[in-house]
Amino acid sequence: MSFYIQLFKKIQTVMHTFYVLDLDHTADVQLHAWGDTLEEAFEQCAVAMFGYMTDLERVQMTQLHHIEAEGHDLESLLFHFLDELLFMFSAEPFIVAKKVKITNFDRENFKISATALGEEFTIGKHTQNAEVKAITYSAMQILDRPESERPELFVIVDI
Amino acid sequence: MVVRQYQEEIKYLEKITETCWRIKKGFQPNMKVEGVFYVNNSLERLMFDELKNSCRPGAVGGFLPGMKQIANVAALPGIVWRSVGLPDVHSGYGFAIGNMAAFDMNDPKSIVSPGGVGFDINCGVRLLRTNLFEEDVLPVKEQLAQSMFDHIPVGVGSKGIIPMNARDLEEALEMGMDWSLREGYIWAEDKEHCEEYGRMLNADSSKVSTRAKKRGLPQLGTLGAGNHYAEIQVVDEIYDKWAACKMGIEEKGQICVMIHSGSRGFGHQVATDALVQMEKAMKRDNIETNDRQLACAHIKSQEGQDYLKAMAAAANFAWVNRSSMTFLSRQAFAKQFQQSPDDLDMHVIYDVSHNIAKIEEHMVEGKQKTLLVHRKGSTRAFPPHHPLIPVDYQLTGQPVLIGGTMGTCSYVLTGTEQAMKETFGSTCHGAGRALSRAKSRRNLDYTDVLEKLERQGISIRVASPKLVMEEAPESYKNVTDVVNTCHAAGISRKCIKLRPIAVIKG
Amino acid sequence: MYLNIAKLKCLKMSTMFKRRLQALGYLEWKKVNINDPQHFRKVVLWLEDQKIRQYDIQDRKDLRNIKSEYWPKAFAKYCMDVQCPIFDNDVDQLEWLIGCAIWLETDNDIENNQFQEGVYSVAKLLRIPQHPNHLVTLKACSKLVQRRLNSECLRNPNSKIVRGKPFPIMNCDPGFQLKKTAVENAAKILALLYIQDIRNLQTKINEVIVRVQNITANPKTDTKLGKVGK
Repeated sequence: MSFYIQLFKKIQTVMHTFYVLDLDHTADVQLHAWGDTLEEAFEQCAVAMFGYMTDLERVQMTQLHHIEAEGHDLESLLFHFLDELLFMFSAEPFIVAKKVKITNFDRENFKISATALGEEFTIGKHTQNAEVKAITYSAMQILDRPESERPELFVIVDI
Repeated sequence: MVVRQYQEEIKYLEKITETCWRIKKGFQPNMKVEGVFYVNNSLERLMFDELKNSCRPGAVGGFLPGMKQIANVAALPGIVWRSVGLPDVHSGYGFAIGNMAAFDMNDPKSIVSPGGVGFDINCGVRLLRTNLFEEDVLPVKEQLAQSMFDHIPVGVGSKGIIPMNARDLEEALEMGMDWSLREGYIWAEDKEHCEEYGRMLNADSSKVSTRAKKRGLPQLGTLGAGNHYAEIQVVDEIYDKWAACKMGIEEKGQICVMIHSGSRGFGHQVATDALVQMEKAMKRDNIETNDRQLACAHIKSQEGQDYLKAMAAAANFAWVNRSSMTFLSRQAFAKQFQQSPDDLDMHVIYDVSHNIAKIEEHMVEGKQKTLLVHRKGSTRAFPPHHPLIPVDYQLTGQPVLIGGTMGTCSYVLTGTEQAMKETFGSTCHGAGRALSRAKSRRNLDYTDVLEKLERQGISIRVASPKLVMEEAPESYKNVTDVVNTCHAAGISRKCIKLRPIAVIKG
Repeated sequence: MYLNIAKLKCLKMSTMFKRRLQALGYLEWKKVNINDPQHFRKVVLWLEDQKIRQYDIQDRKDLRNIKSEYWPKAFAKYCMDVQCPIFDNDVDQLEWLIGCAIWLETDNDIENNQFQEGVYSVAKLLRIPQHPNHLVTLKACSKLVQRRLNSECLRNPNSKIVRGKPFPIMNCDPGFQLKKTAVENAAKILALLYIQDIRNLQTKINEVIVRVQNITANPKTDTKLGKVGK
């Protein structure tokens, strides 16, 4: 348990955001996230997705949910990581995450363990914004040092 | 992708009729057949601007222009005759939205592509008529809009209010609208007026992931968000008196209800799962495509067959979903007018599917062929006397329901013989986006959009008002342009124009 | 309740008998009361004497003896001899005998000119076009009478008569092209009849579905499951 309390504290100290939603595509929305590490960029990308579905200021962090994702390369890892989180929102336990913390990021075997912090989505308490139908590989870009000056991700989600 | 100057690119394009352009082989690599697309002058400009933008030096972006996507589809294995872009075409995931293509079932190389169906499997439009007229509804318009909003769950994260357990879902996936009928949510006549009678027989829920079922269960009977809506509409114009009469539309002013929705998270997950599977199948079977997003598998392969069965289950889900909302809309009207839905004559005029793949018989260059027809953002438009259309429409042709965007008109068209000759019995599906969501958000203000609707006398109930600018008419191609192009090209005929007076959306 | 239905059935039967006996030319058809044993026996004897003629005249004497307590026995034997398939119900047996007599009568007369003229005059009355074969015309008459002149339809014509809007079938594209206009028009009419057949089939299917729904349907909503409205 103490691990999670520590996690909470750590997260609450880094509450600024590192993502925008943008770029021009007629069908969908592109998430653009970055961070000091690729891990952080992944986390921010997930938060960006939830931020598109509801106003995160209204979300309290009262529940924890663990997810695991696995891929065969970095792109598929990102795809499945986001798909897991979308599933967590769309079905039992219907959690909308304000923070996502990757607890294990295995770049050799392309595995992620992560903890999502948030609460059950409740209409009335939370605003209803866009609905993300699916994650896509479309124009997916994962940039890391040294090619890029900071780790950066682009993911198009189907709205 | 071949990088060429715009002036080079347009050499591959040729105007063949007033409303139709040909995309010649070579526009994209490996094109097995040519492409065509239908436009009028203003839509033509949008298409060419999109192409021009993509030719700018340093242009980057996730999506290829619609024309390039039509051409990439023409390069898929097993494609027959032509890849068709309808007037509302705009770039999408792999296939353009408003793109249809047919694949020969008897060619072992032929493929099925989830991207050719779309994420929202069997997204479609249903139109109900009533015997009410505008003057009956106007005095209670706000209450009626509220009543609809109080009956139909909308928006992201909403859950259905029709009690369902996992077993009910399994049955619904297999039975489609027969499930809704058995449980008493709809009328026997409703089924007649749906494509496939509201049930795809090859549905197999064992080919659907648990994840899809878990996403689907709570969302059955919900409208969704984005461009989905339920609208109360008024008959604004009747172009074809006889065909309208067959649909129970007698005169201007008559009230209808339009429901635009699909298979919700269930279909989205089925598509996502299939795309992952097909990536593997493509590697194994050495299927080459111009674009990684055109993930596909041979029709006869395990992945291809599994997808078609899961897709059919998702199609059934969508029909049950629209049926549940039909039930809720009838209740809303019944409550407001203190009359039974029967007395209000709330019959289903028709229900179209505009994201689906179906096995159909077509004449191709003089020969009858069995084809897997992919329609993504495209509506089936079968002509009079076609055996697959309901008996009531045998003389008029299949009704084609074209949903407008928030605040704009919608149309009912009918299918034609011309569509059978030119577009495998297909036509447009709606307006088609012209602006990106990001651009809409930057350029428009949501309060302006809401005020404009109010000035037009349209009541609106929306779960996420801050996103209405993304769905504002300004973000879309003009639906009237789209419909007029289809009419002028002869691939469907204008029958009825509908104008919204209340919109309910996510 | 049950008794009432039985009584009603009886009444209906006797009017039906009367009409048929009239058609057969039974003089006292108006006065017949089949519940009166004497009337009943008289009718049976008349049918045998005039129409059925199963026995030679001399062999009909047991039937002729309508006052005799042995008459029922004779009647039972008679029914056996004419191969009436019904055994236990006098009224049903009589109905069968009348039917048998009508059948024999029409079988004899069906080809004669008088009958043909009769059919055509009925057809004229019903405004049904004449077919060269009068039996086909007769079938058409029978169809019309059964559908449109039955008691329910007469009582409430709107319930049975479909009031469709006329559709300009002759101006619409038939989906085929034939060289001769007359042939094409005929084909259009056939297509229309076919569509009507399918419509009737579809309606019957719908009726079956509705009957099944009466057993299976139980639609419900529970607004606690999800949030609606605001």
